[in-house]
Amino acid sequence: MITTKNYMYEMVRSELTWVVGEDYVQTTDSDKLGHSIDYYWVPELWHDRGEKLTPPDFVVHPANAKEVSEILKIANNHNIPIIPWGGGSGSQGGALPVYGGIVLDMKRMNKVLNIDPVSMTATVEVGINTQHLEWEIEKAGYSTMHFPASIACATLGGFIAHRGTGVLSTKYGKIEDMIMSLEVVTPTGEIINTLPVPRHASGPDLTQLFLGSEGTLGVVTKAVMKIHPIPESRKFHAFLFKTMHEAMSAGAKIMTSRLRPCVIRLYDEPETAKLIKRVLGIDKKGAYLVFGFDGFEKIVDLEMEQACAICREREQEDLGTEMGQTWWDNRYKFFYPPYMFHMPQAFGTLDTVATFANIEKVYWAMKNTVKDNFPQAVFIGHFSHWYEWGCMLYARFIIDEPPKDPHEAVALYNKIWDMAIRAAIKEGGVINEHHGVGLKLGRIMKDLYGPAFKVLQDIKKVLDPNNIMNPGKMGFQGKGA
Amino acid sequence: MHIEKHLDVINACRFCFMCRHLDPVGNVTFMEADTPRGRALIIDRIHMDHECLKNQDFISTMYRSALSAANRYHCVSHYDETALVLAVRRDIVEAGLVPEKVKALAEELEKVSFTVNGKGDILYYGENPELYSNCMTISGRDPGKALEVLGFEKESKKIFGKFKSAVTDSKCKTLIVEEPSAYDFLKDKFNNVKVIHCSEYLLSGKVNTGSARKAYYLDSDFLKNYDGNISAPLELLKKCGYEIVPFGTNSEESYSIGEGAIIYDDLNPDLCEKLCRRVYGLADNLVKDLFITASRYVKNTLKKYNSQIKIISIEEAVAQKKENK
Ligand SMILES: Cc1cc2nc3c(=O)[nH]c(=O)nc-3n(C[C@H](O)[C@H](O)[C@H](O)COP(=O)(O)OP(=O)(O)OC[C@H]3O[C@@H](n4cnc5c(N)ncnc54)[C@H](O)[C@@H]3O)c2cc1C
Ligand code: SF4
Repeated sequence: MITTKNYMYEMVRSELTWVVGEDYVQTTDSDKLGHSIDYYWVPELWHDRGEKLTPPDFVVHPANAKEVSEILKIANNHNIPIIPWGGGSGSQGGALPVYGGIVLDMKRMNKVLNIDPVSMTATVEVGINTQHLEWEIEKAGYSTMHFPASIACATLGGFIAHRGTGVLSTKYGKIEDMIMSLEVVTPTGEIINTLPVPRHASGPDLTQLFLGSEGTLGVVTKAVMKIHPIPESRKFHAFLFKTMHEAMSAGAKIMTSRLRPCVIRLYDEPETAKLIKRVLGIDKKGAYLVFGFDGFEKIVDLEMEQACAICREREQEDLGTEMGQTWWDNRYKFFYPPYMFHMPQAFGTLDTVATFANIEKVYWAMKNTVKDNFPQAVFIGHFSHWYEWGCMLYARFIIDEPPKDPHEAVALYNKIWDMAIRAAIKEGGVINEHHGVGLKLGRIMKDLYGPAFKVLQDIKKVLDPNNIMNPGKMGFQGKGA
Repeated sequence: MHIEKHLDVINACRFCFMCRHLDPVGNVTFMEADTPRGRALIIDRIHMDHECLKNQDFISTMYRSALSAANRYHCVSHYDETALVLAVRRDIVEAGLVPEKVKALAEELEKVSFTVNGKGDILYYGENPELYSNCMTISGRDPGKALEVLGFEKESKKIFGKFKSAVTDSKCKTLIVEEPSAYDFLKDKFNNVKVIHCSEYLLSGKVNTGSARKAYYLDSDFLKNYDGNISAPLELLKKCGYEIVPFGTNSEESYSIGEGAIIYDDLNPDLCEKLCRRVYGLADNLVKDLFITASRYVKNTLKKYNSQIKIISIEEAVAQKKENK
């Protein structure tokens, strides 16, 4: 970190100002504070306990890829870390400037550059807030179909960097399925474009290399993404099953019979009792399953009938369309205070993805690990992104009264993660499905990948010889090392 | 400290990102500090360590807020981040830490007197008295809202005292207010005088429809986000024959240019210009289209930074229909 008292600080500041202009190099305490905390629980706790955070030295807002390139060259020259920042809504500490340096806040690159109604794609600067993006695309008569709970919090670049996902992922895919191609500024400052279509046989797919690279391999500046027609109809239906197991078998059958719901969500019994009651006002005992279909009304009705028939083959209470629609209408409400967990509670999302054969084993392994080792923690979960082969477990642990001492609290927090994740990996779970790795899960990467992690490390070394790009994230080397 | 009355808001907003997309200032400065989360984090810091109130960066961030209240309107729990910022401004003023520029503006705002003219039991407070032929009028500048918003509570009360005396002395039963900020400030302040927005009054009377005309209505920070999104302005415009087209991408989006902060353009002209440029950029055809706003501040400020924009107030929209009859 460059101290503000050092004349080098002014030298670097002048260089940055030269590139983006005075207005777009921030060094105020206000902005440094805002960029010291993202949505990761640990910096939130640090702030809450009045502990000192690690601020960036500079917050820079580039206007285009050329400016990004110039900034990266300056950073290489002075060996200063660059930390791309979108909305700061990442839950893994991915955007935290843990070694100080330049936070590259991408929000100024916020334009929809082109809408191609023939191919149904949009070319977009990735610093755009995803709610603004959706509104602009809707105004043109289409939709991105990317509806994450953080749609209003995050940027498209953040989702690309973390392989994020929206509520309608089951039909429309995760972000990596939505992207056609990318413009990227590599760590040494070259502006490159990946191939214009996502299906080709011209070697490994560079687009997919940068998707999920969390700002460690370069800065994504532009994306061409798919857009969709607004569906004629979108309908929901909900069922209550006695057990999560029964509900899971219904959900899996819907998927493996190749129906195409746009969304399926299944809440375990504790989460149904706690959150479905609190947020949706549905006061029922059991496991709440909701699904939806969209598209042409005739097809929606037909698919809905089939999916409902699958559910009715099992013991269930039919909650009907209204209690399904209620979920859709309130889908973001879960994330607003006071519905969302909050300080002083300790909480974490152990999102894990596995095949249908393994997903319940993963659930029980995590749940039992938390229950047996951490009696102070409550474990709840829902299954939120469903594929033809399996689904994602959005498991959470909550501790109402974590230790007062922040060091102890973080140690406990990490211990829960370590044990629960290892238990999940053992049962075939992959950590994680859409939140990314960041700072939070870096230490798991070697175990998760095994010898394959060296391939990732080698790619990082070649692309970023000075290790300026987001050091210390995704399990890659830190700056102090 | 006044911020202590808003601990629930601090605790809710400091780690919440859910309404950041609606902060007009954050949307043009791109700074994390210019979002409800950013401001709540700062205020939380101040709450933990009162010395931080002296931090000039923190103070200037608080006076950069446009106070549109779009966030509060959007928030499912309606946490009042706007009230939190107003509270910290009061703390800044009372601690004698107010920036010179703000102090000078406040001094200027204190130089005001109010005069009532005419006879009757309805009093009109606005700039288009010709529309209210049977009403008395009260002239004078801001009745204390601007001072309140800057954090000068005591001084605001003093100005309001003058306004109140003038209104009480007039013996009116109804007070019609044109400017939304003044309407918001005055609406609950009188026991025996009914305070209504000009659109409500005009709607209750006879209006001329004339030929249909397409216009974009720019929502008022106050009428939409502070005062329950009253329906009278749009009903009135429709009654007058205007075909109202939604502005921008979405009715939830905030196109505020600082109306909520009353004298935002005096306080932060560069920023205000950026807010205006964002609005111009979102217009379908800035030069050809007609824009209607409830706020004089919005009209004058948008005109100031681009004289080509065709923008009129609600009262002017009504008056034009009269002329065209
Ligand atoms: C209330 C809430 C609900 C959430 N719900 C969801 C959800 O439904 N689905 C989901 O997927 N996530 C969700 N998240 C998590 C979060 O929104 C996502 O991880 C999102 O992708 C982060 O985007 P951001 O723009 O905020 O990125 P940041 O947090 O700013 O950054 C995240 C990472 O991306 C990197 N990065 C950012 N921009 C670029 C760029 N242009 N080029 C290269 N690297 C870049 C950063 O360096 C960092 O490593 C939620 C978060 C919150 C606060
Ligand atoms: S006002 Fe509501 S939505 Fe906005 S930051 Fe505060 S709690 Fe979150």
